[in-house]
Amino acid sequence: MSMLKPLPRKRNLTWLWPLAGGLSLLLLWSGIIVLGEVRPFIAPAPWDVAAEIWKNRVLLAQNFWPTLLEAVAGFICGNLAAISVAVIFVHFHTVQKMYLPIAVLFNTIPVIALAPILILIFGINITPKIIIASLVCFFPTLVNMIRGLEAYTSSEMELMRVMSASRLEIFLRLRLPRSLPFLFSALRISCTSCVIGAIVGEWIGSTMGIGSLIIQATFNYRSGLLYAAICMSSALALSLFAIVIASEKKFLRW
Amino acid sequence: MPARSSRPPNAIALRDAAVTFATDAGLFTACQNINLDIETGSFVVLIGPSGCGKSTLLRLVADLLPCAAGTAEVNGAPPEAARKARAVSFVFQDSTLLPWRSVMDNISLPLQVGRWAALGRGHRPVKELLELVRMSGREAAMPHELSGGMRQRVAIARALVTQPDILLMDEPFAALDEITRESLNEEVLRIWRETGTTVVFVTHSLEEAAYLGQRVVVMAANPGRIADIIDLRQAKPDNRIDRSSQAFFEITTGLRRVLEKAYRGEIAA
Ligand SMILES: Nc1ncnc2c1ncn2[C@@H]1O[C@H](COP(=O)(O)OP(=O)(O)O)[C@@H](O)[C@H]1O
Ligand SMILES: [Mg+2]
Repeated sequence: MSMLKPLPRKRNLTWLWPLAGGLSLLLLWSGIIVLGEVRPFIAPAPWDVAAEIWKNRVLLAQNFWPTLLEAVAGFICGNLAAISVAVIFVHFHTVQKMYLPIAVLFNTIPVIALAPILILIFGINITPKIIIASLVCFFPTLVNMIRGLEAYTSSEMELMRVMSASRLEIFLRLRLPRSLPFLFSALRISCTSCVIGAIVGEWIGSTMGIGSLIIQATFNYRSGLLYAAICMSSALALSLFAIVIASEKKFLRW
Repeated sequence: MPARSSRPPNAIALRDAAVTFATDAGLFTACQNINLDIETGSFVVLIGPSGCGKSTLLRLVADLLPCAAGTAEVNGAPPEAARKARAVSFVFQDSTLLPWRSVMDNISLPLQVGRWAALGRGHRPVKELLELVRMSGREAAMPHELSGGMRQRVAIARALVTQPDILLMDEPFAALDEITRESLNEEVLRIWRETGTTVVFVTHSLEEAAYLGQRVVVMAANPGRIADIIDLRQAKPDNRIDRSSQAFFEITTGLRRVLEKAYRGEIAA
């Protein structure tokens, strides 16, 4: 005779899996370094990187803030620009037909090629880095936002029209809420790529920031510092990602 | 709601009306030669094979589609005027509740758009509407938490919040199971009696048409047109009938015969 027992509630420990995966890779890394007798300036062991982070904590912090500023400013500017352009595109289809192909074309230019041009125009300061970070964010958000603003159903639009809703009302009460899931999937992409944009900008011409630290560490064969800088940039991208996920959870409860 | 004194005798008047669509293959006539008067406060059902232009006709009345020929009058004026005066409400087959809004916020949506405040007309309190559609206590629920039948109840409440003169319903219960549909049919009649609203109800269910309509407009396809109009007011005094009665069986049988002819296209255009 079988008894129907309520299923035990599964505890939400899914985050343990990627943690276990990460630990196993760290172990693999350590094994290769130790067993292969890899010299530290070629590739350091994990504990060397950890020690390096601690030793250079002041230097790393000094270079962390400029990159954070550039990445966040680029993220905000790039996404605001993309959202505004998408709003114009969906309301004026002629404008979209004229300029969307150009945006697509522009997107094929590698950022790395654009960086020197922007530095020639704006000089070695924070502006070209913010612009590069913005440009990296712009295109994914533009494309997603256009799709999102058109993602209403035909009966939803008919409902708005039977109620004699104005364009602004349709935008605020239908198109914008409908676009939010699309916007957030774009923000998940751009919050990590804006960090890459800022770092690429710093490579080309800068004395500050994680990007310039990476260049300096590479040329001076300081592989421990190089890895430490890479860890910083990942940490920065991850914290931006966490913020985006948190706000998505807050705004997209339906 | 007492009948408004200013209401014209015919809520809807269509004269030789036609609706066309511009398609790649040229102009397509979705319906033509439509002559139909719908008395204010009456309950009219449209039935016919799919593609015969039932939804098109409702959209013409709602000013979602223009009249290509003939004339259409809603409340004695062009459909556009009726729409702007917020005299018409629409209930869709999919409830079309906005998923990010609670039941309460969905029902009050019509009051937040379309210059409602400027019209200076009274609306029905949301609490009262929830009672009317028997959804009291669920005002905070989100649409995804509701069953299909409950979502349609909320959609009906939303349509009634502006106290419209005309309620257009396009196969509102087609996606629901039979038992739910039958109970919602009763609710719709109760709401119709209570509000005095003119109702135009599209269905492809014979039983639903027979149960609800004071008059049933049978349409035929290719081109979309009115095949016959069946008056059930004599057969259903007070528009009430028992579904299990002999009288109801006779009504559905008669309706079935007309409908079968319309399906076969035996009724000349
Ligand atoms: N937007 C449109 N463009 C072109 N043809 C349409 C459009 N909407 C409806 N039709 C056509 O008009 C006819 C009537 O459609 P509809 O009113 O939806 O039929 P019903 O609601 O009776 O099933 C159909 O043949 C359909 O294909
Ligand atoms: Mg239809």
